[in-house]
Amino acid sequence: MVGDPIADYLPTFIRFLLLAAAVIGISIGVHYVLRKVFHVRREVAIGYSLITPWILGFLTFSAVPLVSTFALSFTDYNLQQTPSLVGVKNYDTLINKDVNFWPSIRLTILYSVISVPISVFFSLMLALLLSKKLRFIGVYRVLYYLPSIVPAVAVVLLWRWIFNPDVGLLNTALSPIFNLTGQSPPDWFGDENWVLPAFIIMSFWTALGNNMVILLGSRKGVATDLYEAASIDGANTFTKFLKITVPMMTPAIFFLIVVEFASAMQLFTPAAFARATPAAGRFMNLLIYTYGFQQSRMGYATALAVILFLLILAATIILFRSQARWVYYEGQEK
Amino acid sequence: MHSSKKLAFTSLLLFLSLVLSACGDATTSAPASAPTAAQAGAATTAAQAGAATTAAQAGAATTAAAAGGPKVELTMSIWAGVDEAKEFQAIIDGINAKSTTYKVSVQASPQEYVTKLQTGLASGTAADLFWVDIDHLSGFADKGSLLDLTPMLKADKSHPAGNLDDYFPGAIAAGTYKDKIYGLPWIQQPLVLYVNLDMFKAANVSPPTAEWTWDDFQKAALKLTVDGSGKTADDPAFDVKTAKQWGFTSNGTDWPPTMMYIWQAGGQTITPDFKSSPIDSPEAVKAAQWYTDLINKSRVSPTASQIKDQGFDTMFLNGKVAMFIGGAADSLETREGMKGQAQAFLVPKGPAGNRQTPAYIAFTAINAKAKNKDVAYAAMADITDGIQKWKVPVPRKSLSTKEAIQKAQPKRPAGSIDTIIAALPDAKAAPVFPGYAQWADIWSTQFIDPLFRGKDTAANLSKKVRPQLEETLPK
Repeated sequence: MVGDPIADYLPTFIRFLLLAAAVIGISIGVHYVLRKVFHVRREVAIGYSLITPWILGFLTFSAVPLVSTFALSFTDYNLQQTPSLVGVKNYDTLINKDVNFWPSIRLTILYSVISVPISVFFSLMLALLLSKKLRFIGVYRVLYYLPSIVPAVAVVLLWRWIFNPDVGLLNTALSPIFNLTGQSPPDWFGDENWVLPAFIIMSFWTALGNNMVILLGSRKGVATDLYEAASIDGANTFTKFLKITVPMMTPAIFFLIVVEFASAMQLFTPAAFARATPAAGRFMNLLIYTYGFQQSRMGYATALAVILFLLILAATIILFRSQARWVYYEGQEK
Repeated sequence: MHSSKKLAFTSLLLFLSLVLSACGDATTSAPASAPTAAQAGAATTAAQAGAATTAAQAGAATTAAAAGGPKVELTMSIWAGVDEAKEFQAIIDGINAKSTTYKVSVQASPQEYVTKLQTGLASGTAADLFWVDIDHLSGFADKGSLLDLTPMLKADKSHPAGNLDDYFPGAIAAGTYKDKIYGLPWIQQPLVLYVNLDMFKAANVSPPTAEWTWDDFQKAALKLTVDGSGKTADDPAFDVKTAKQWGFTSNGTDWPPTMMYIWQAGGQTITPDFKSSPIDSPEAVKAAQWYTDLINKSRVSPTASQIKDQGFDTMFLNGKVAMFIGGAADSLETREGMKGQAQAFLVPKGPAGNRQTPAYIAFTAINAKAKNKDVAYAAMADITDGIQKWKVPVPRKSLSTKEAIQKAQPKRPAGSIDTIIAALPDAKAAPVFPGYAQWADIWSTQFIDPLFRGKDTAANLSKKVRPQLEETLPK
């Protein structure tokens, strides 16, 4: 609000210039060392020198923070003071004393395990429907994709209204059923038993569009001669779907499951804005934020982040191990 | 040679792209230009009256500024929203215009203020001066992020806001951590009961008196809660599903704070020595259960989803809720759109005979890493004085008079101003310690949430949650 913008920015601008010069210098240095010391071919040296800025960025912004996270998880660190080593105390407290830990693990895993298969299955069905040659098919595809481009916060606000127990769209639509059965309509975000279904429905709606586009691309890539050959052999539509369409789409399905699972485990924005009752547990990423930024317990929060990382890693390893049994890559040798 | 040229060309491209990206950033992050004399002139009279410092006042500063050089540039971060920040900027403009030693620029961050502040403090980019509230002051002080103001305040003979004798002792105590003062308080806000007098009149209920107890309050709330067929909540035929008007409002997430009712019943949430959290004492249990029953059994408040839907204080402004407990500075009765005549009254007395309310106290503090500490102190004292003449109610005795409050908020009814002055002695700082956020999280998620959702009684929950709360207290 005060001062000359150019003069204010000048030191930052000079720092940018120096940084750029340093990166270029390192790139040239890499080229020189590879050529003169290791006597590698010129093309190889140029290649390495050109990717040096990216490698530096990766080391600075990904590798070092990743290693730091592991290191910080063994410390007591409040952001403003030097971290002090506490051994495995953070992990011990989390697992044995923290009242939020197990409900959080339960909610996050249940949400991921239930929501991902549901969303992938319905996305597959939708992709198959939208792969048909119909009039205005482009319009349908756009309509189904639209929820994916709505900002996450807007989606949550919309669903908070839909899930409103008194005047929400969902309970109003379901009211005949509740009247018949004599049950009271659910308080979706206020009753711990309905929190998980509410998040699953919400995620399903938003993930459908993105997943559908990937699966539609995969469906369109299935060679038509496979279907022709199957028709000659007398296969019916269902057999073609089961024996050709699904196997040929398994790489895309596998990709979606891996990516969606990791994403579901790291759910944050809907969890932060839905304001669901904490009695159902808090999603792990939200708990990490609470511990780290609201309670200034960064060491403790990173320990939880490491546990989340290990859970996602374990799930990814299991999924990759399982792909040999059900994922078919065209042209692969068995 | 040819490939060397290629390499040089590629390097040049890379260099240019980095430079361009740097330039792009500059255009978005460039701060606004300095305030003009006209803007400075728009500063409030109050600010102009007593806020600006002279070179002589900042004489302790040994900077070039004091010797007639350029003014020292200081930054200040605040949590104010757009309108509040505009008013504050006018005060700062007035102070900047009068000061010969410093120039303060303001950064307002209404969203995620504390997160931004602590990240800034960690990275060394935080402002020189900033607002900090009672919940976070001790935590920041404990981490060494705040400048110890004690020696400067003791030596200060020239700034009105630096005169410690003029403050209510509780406010200074709230800004003190381990016998050192880290924050100069500029607001000490008690809670008051906002009442829609027109709704009271229509329901034939007498307005609150200074002798009102919880029972009187509950009876009035029942009479003022009306369903679609005109039946009140004290009528057995009352149908809560068709309720169109409510006597009171609680959002079910601890507003008004349960802590207030526990204090009024003679209980404690945290003992003064921070050694225990006796929430299972008979007094605390009685208070928490009474409050929950008022909401869940007496049904005098809209549901949590109705409040989320229609807005908490908006329902009071719209004339759908007759009584609302809020901060004295909220000035609901003078808000635009207030339906009916409203006034602030004292909250009802609890079973222990007191009407203590948690005081919201906010401070101006100095970054421990501020470069020009003496100049920063002079600026902080001037700015705090400016804020104290703007905000209501402030913790300074000389400014807590009927005349001073009426001058700061001319639209407020005289009855409300009397209430604010009468409420001040009962405004008590909440017991806060450096790890308070952890305590508050357990309090909210493990005790308040299940209690207000009717999952268990206050007696059972308090026994279960007390050890969890005590686990977070200072060892």
